Amino acid sequence: MSGADTGQPSDRTQTTEEILADDGTPWYSQYLRDHRVHVLTVLLLAAYPPVYAALAGSPVSGEAIALLPEVQTMVAVLYFGLFAMSFDFISGYTGYLSFGHAAFYGTGAYLTVLIANGKLVTTLPVVGTVLTPQTPFMLSLVLAGLAGAVLALLIGSVSFRLSGVYFAMITLGFSQVLYVFVRNWDFVSDAPRDGVAVTGRTTGFEIGVPAVDGLNVAVGVLLGDSVSLFGGAVELSATEVSFYAIGAVVLVSYLAMQRVVHSPFGRVMIAIRENEERARAIGYDTYRYKLGAFAISGFFAGVAGSLFAAFRQSVTPENGFYFLVAGDALLASIIGGFGTLVGPLYGRLFEESVQEFLSKSGSGGGLLPWLEANVPSSVLQAELFNGLTVAEAIDTFLNGHAELYVGVMFVLFVLYVPNGLLGTVRDRAGGTLAKAGIPALRRWFR
Amino acid sequence: MSTLATLPTLLFLDTLFEFLRPSTLAGVAVEGLSLAALYVMITAGLSLIFGLMGVLNFAHGAVTMLGAYLGGLVTVLLVGGATGDPVRFLAFFVATLVAFGALAALGGGMEIALVRPIYDRPPLYQILLTFGVTLILEELARIVLLFYGIQPISDWQDALATRPAVLGEGLGVAGVAVDGLELFQILFGILTVVGVWAFLTRTRYGLYVRAGSEDDEMLAALGVDVRQVFTVVFALGTGVAGAAGVLLAWDPSWAASVPLAAETLLPAFVVVIVGGLGTFRGTVAAALLVGVTDAIMKWWFQNYVEFTGLPEITVFLVLVIMLIVRPQGLYGVSEVGGH
Repeated sequence: MSGADTGQPSDRTQTTEEILADDGTPWYSQYLRDHRVHVLTVLLLAAYPPVYAALAGSPVSGEAIALLPEVQTMVAVLYFGLFAMSFDFISGYTGYLSFGHAAFYGTGAYLTVLIANGKLVTTLPVVGTVLTPQTPFMLSLVLAGLAGAVLALLIGSVSFRLSGVYFAMITLGFSQVLYVFVRNWDFVSDAPRDGVAVTGRTTGFEIGVPAVDGLNVAVGVLLGDSVSLFGGAVELSATEVSFYAIGAVVLVSYLAMQRVVHSPFGRVMIAIRENEERARAIGYDTYRYKLGAFAISGFFAGVAGSLFAAFRQSVTPENGFYFLVAGDALLASIIGGFGTLVGPLYGRLFEESVQEFLSKSGSGGGLLPWLEANVPSSVLQAELFNGLTVAEAIDTFLNGHAELYVGVMFVLFVLYVPNGLLGTVRDRAGGTLAKAGIPALRRWFR
Repeated sequence: MSTLATLPTLLFLDTLFEFLRPSTLAGVAVEGLSLAALYVMITAGLSLIFGLMGVLNFAHGAVTMLGAYLGGLVTVLLVGGATGDPVRFLAFFVATLVAFGALAALGGGMEIALVRPIYDRPPLYQILLTFGVTLILEELARIVLLFYGIQPISDWQDALATRPAVLGEGLGVAGVAVDGLELFQILFGILTVVGVWAFLTRTRYGLYVRAGSEDDEMLAALGVDVRQVFTVVFALGTGVAGAAGVLLAWDPSWAASVPLAAETLLPAFVVVIVGGLGTFRGTVAAALLVGVTDAIMKWWFQNYVEFTGLPEITVFLVLVIMLIVRPQGLYGVSEVGGH
């Protein structure tokens, strides 16, 4: 940018401010108008735990529990949704399929657990002993993100010399090398194949403002805080507190990625997806842009992994580093909408809801317990063939075979809804929901 | 051991000397060849399908897994406790034929119903679709197995037990201790390579396949029904994967189990990428490279290095190094599979 140009952008901002001042509207009103769909979505999500609790206590409790995902599942949707969003950030926007994305998620999760177990205690000059088990979680969270970003830079600097299937395969190769390595590395625990649990601290991981005790809450099902607000008017269980705390981190991360996607940097990412040669011909150093995007993506994948480890208090090679973890993110992205950023979160929500509905999960809801409770026993005991009763047949197909339905759903989406949920909705509305959503709704109801 | 461990260099040299002894080298070479034979069988179908249609078939491993169970089922039904070795071999070939036929039919059906509508979409969608098919096939296998009281995660011992006694024995061939199973696998692998090679170069369909890999639009313009060729090749590719599964059902270090799908899919990807996407010659060469490397690393792990994951990690390192040094693979053309 030449010297003469530097004045221009500030001129433009000035005029924008002037226009706003002329209207007499405060500075935040335009911001709120741009983000009204965001605000609405956040409010809807935030209302979920009380609504679920209310419905579970109502006359239709059986149906509500069968149909709606539990709050604990929703927490998993949030942190995995963040991972899927970070996957979509690189794969959906630059078109480079990062099939080894699990490497960053696993790194974030393992780093968090290892810090909590005091495996990484080091003594630095000046600063003193760092990375003790008492390290604030917010610090480990950022460190996990940074580790993901650094790893992404390392992997990306080699991998971005390739493209297409080759890029997908080399990232897969790197992540599988890490998977095998972590599976056999006895530094992480005595039985590295079984993963590692948090043993170094007896309190949950706190999310909040660092160094201010009153503004922190611990997450986790067992070790999390339960909170009582307004003199006992609002009682939140540990799971519900985790939902809000993890949701806050996911929201901040999403807004950050959304900001990048809508910045000039994000435009270049899309240009690389649409036509990389032309982007290069215009003068963009696409290699650097890809690498930068990959690092950002790796950062948030690491953060997601860290949240996952904090909530679950443990991590195994299979649910951290294995290539099918990236496969799940791909699944969520396709169902939600590839290249829509927030779509993968909805994709994961949809997928988890269907899974929980069609496959019994622990004490959770789903169709099976509901059928067992509500179908008359004469029908359940009826014999289909060869001594197989209806009850056994139902149990065979609805108990723990979530993957089957996920696969069917996946094939159906690829064939008939290739743009995913959010992508299709955006196509109908004619743009992002923030811009075109409300006019589209008006057209619909007129 | 403990005194030697204080002298790592000496221990290393000692192990190296042990490794370089002709009998050790020969043993490692035979094991490498048998692994290469397995890899080439697992990968041949994947390579054919990718070469012609550009579809990276993620369901390939699941088909191999189904082949292992189907073949195991046939041998278990045909073979009793007192059956002699020749009958067991016969049962094996019947099983191979059944698995080949059944899975070729499955592959053909899959191509017509699911893959054909999305050829014109970006390659990503074909990967995704076949990935979804994998999930379905694996879960269906699990449901059926649990219904019959077989543990899906662990190896299916009944199928392993139908193996002829001669395959479990060590045989002395020219002074080298060789496992019977390894020889059988090498033989089977050579048969597969020769079969596929003959199909590609000696039949009219093979000619179509080779021509279609170069330019399928031109082939269609010359009056060949390309859609039918695609279906036949997809069916053949999945059929070969099924036959490979039958062979794996007799190998204790693989054996029929549901996780076999992922266990075979990943090395198959490595081999097909290292060889170069869409060349059968490259696939054979890469299977040899990966198989022998794998065997060497297994030996070093057993005798010197204490890191359990060494052989597995090396296979992926071969992939990574190959992609860095020569992204198009051993015999690949750089344009194929690009962005």
